[in-house]
Amino acid sequence: MGKFVVIGERLSTTAPIINKAFTERDPEPILKRAKQQLDAGATYLDVNIGPAESDGEDLMKWAVQLLQSEFDNVPLALDTANMKAIEAGISVYNRAKGKPIVNSADASGRIGYLDLAAANDAICIALCNGEGIAKDNDERMMYCQTLLERGMEHGMEAEDIWFDPLFLVVKGMQDKQMQILECIKMFSDMGLNSTGGLSNNSNGMPKTIRPIMDSALVAMAMMQGLTSAIVNPNDLRLMETIKSCDVFKGNTLYADSYLEI
Amino acid sequence: MPFTAKSGKFNASINTLTIGTGDKAITLGGENVLPFYTFDAPIENAPKVGIEITDGGLDAEPDCIKACYEGCTSVVDMAKKAAGFEGVDFLSLRLEGGDPNGLNKSTEELIAIVKEVAAAVDLPLVISGCKNVEKDAELLTKAAEALEGRNALILPAKEENYKTVGAAAGLAYKQVVGAESSVDINLAKQLNVLLTQLGVNPQSIAMNVGTASAGYGFEYVISTIDRVKAAALSQGDATLQMPIITPVASEVWGVKETMASEADMPEWGPVEERGIDMEIETAAADLVSGSNAVILRHPASVATISKMIKELV
Repeated sequence: MGKFVVIGERLSTTAPIINKAFTERDPEPILKRAKQQLDAGATYLDVNIGPAESDGEDLMKWAVQLLQSEFDNVPLALDTANMKAIEAGISVYNRAKGKPIVNSADASGRIGYLDLAAANDAICIALCNGEGIAKDNDERMMYCQTLLERGMEHGMEAEDIWFDPLFLVVKGMQDKQMQILECIKMFSDMGLNSTGGLSNNSNGMPKTIRPIMDSALVAMAMMQGLTSAIVNPNDLRLMETIKSCDVFKGNTLYADSYLEI
Repeated sequence: MPFTAKSGKFNASINTLTIGTGDKAITLGGENVLPFYTFDAPIENAPKVGIEITDGGLDAEPDCIKACYEGCTSVVDMAKKAAGFEGVDFLSLRLEGGDPNGLNKSTEELIAIVKEVAAAVDLPLVISGCKNVEKDAELLTKAAEALEGRNALILPAKEENYKTVGAAAGLAYKQVVGAESSVDINLAKQLNVLLTQLGVNPQSIAMNVGTASAGYGFEYVISTIDRVKAAALSQGDATLQMPIITPVASEVWGVKETMASEADMPEWGPVEERGIDMEIETAAADLVSGSNAVILRHPASVATISKMIKELV
């Protein structure tokens, strides 16, 4: 198995400073955050431009070219509700360091994102969710099958579909947490790759608590076979946990300086 | 359904490393397949074979090797002759006389030999120390300085002296640094990380991950090389993608199978034949595990291993 793939989540319109930078096409705040994430060990960077209904295509092209020219063709996850913007981003994307990731399809209204990924030889994040939150793992696995079949019908390799169990917030859905972990094990037993917005678990918790919860969950999820997560790589505790778990899993060879590489 | 053979080539590859300069320069590494798996993808740079002499000259050699250097009266004579043997890609000069617990030759005396040898041959050079980490730090620093412009491989930078050797060979004088770890795969990785953090270009590092004569803990050597190559290729671990060079001669010619006389061990047969056999067997096994270069001593071993490589690549 390869190393756990960290997708840096910090380039998102949900952050006001990044939203403003996207709108104004101001490279500086974007490059700064991108560098912080890459220095901390992110492999992919998620580029979330929001709904981007009016100028999404132009914006995504600009962002892809900006990031890839500055950071040696850094691989990117293209994240927006505007499908045309994702296609536009892929049209200028350099694959030297990895295929683009389409973020994301689901088993309901966004299933077409898989077709888009297939047509563009991209990886696709496939959220095992339909309308509303799946009630149990039978439902999640049904969505998983639907998404897998759809992707493969369109010529995708199974390894390019990264299944997302949809991490749920502990405050309010504590009783669902083990279900999610069991779902990851099911993906893993099928030989499938997986990812997701893992830090969703600690939403609403104090800032000092979140790294602890996120680290504990990532360790448990990696034990279950999670192969990637969309997280904040500048959370040192989380990154140390991921690197340590990679050693235990044999994904990388131990060396005394393993936390520095 | 028709059978479609799946290529076993990896997405990662071993670094390409050049030693020496000009027409005689050699290039190690570059492959993205297991050793000799040319059916998966072409191997552009076949493994290379070096011949070793020492500062001790003929006196330090067993009788059977002395005979190969008939007429030579100095280390430089030997170097010139060695350069002409069939299959020799590079020359290794081992400064074993520097060992404070042995002959304890001065650094000046040894560096004078290094300079003479370098002036006499245009082959790529590997300079090996005396196995004493403090003396090596001094000796190899001076050797790196003396060979500036030759792009020589300076061996070994070890955990205890990597800062000095790495800084001199890798940074100040732009040689190739040989990182040595003794069958400790975690240390092999760590040493590469440390050298890189020191500022040495990863493309200027070769590894000696451990060596032994066949039969002397050799399975550890093989499993170490195997695992290094597996991490480098299948896990794409950039901290282990340095080509591997394995000194064979210095191990093989010190074990009883190559040293005991025929008079003492008549059932073992002629001593020269045994020595060559041990050297060939050890080198062949190192190469099929993943060594990108081996260092040998007997010209017959060099010729045989070189022929084996040519047949396979």
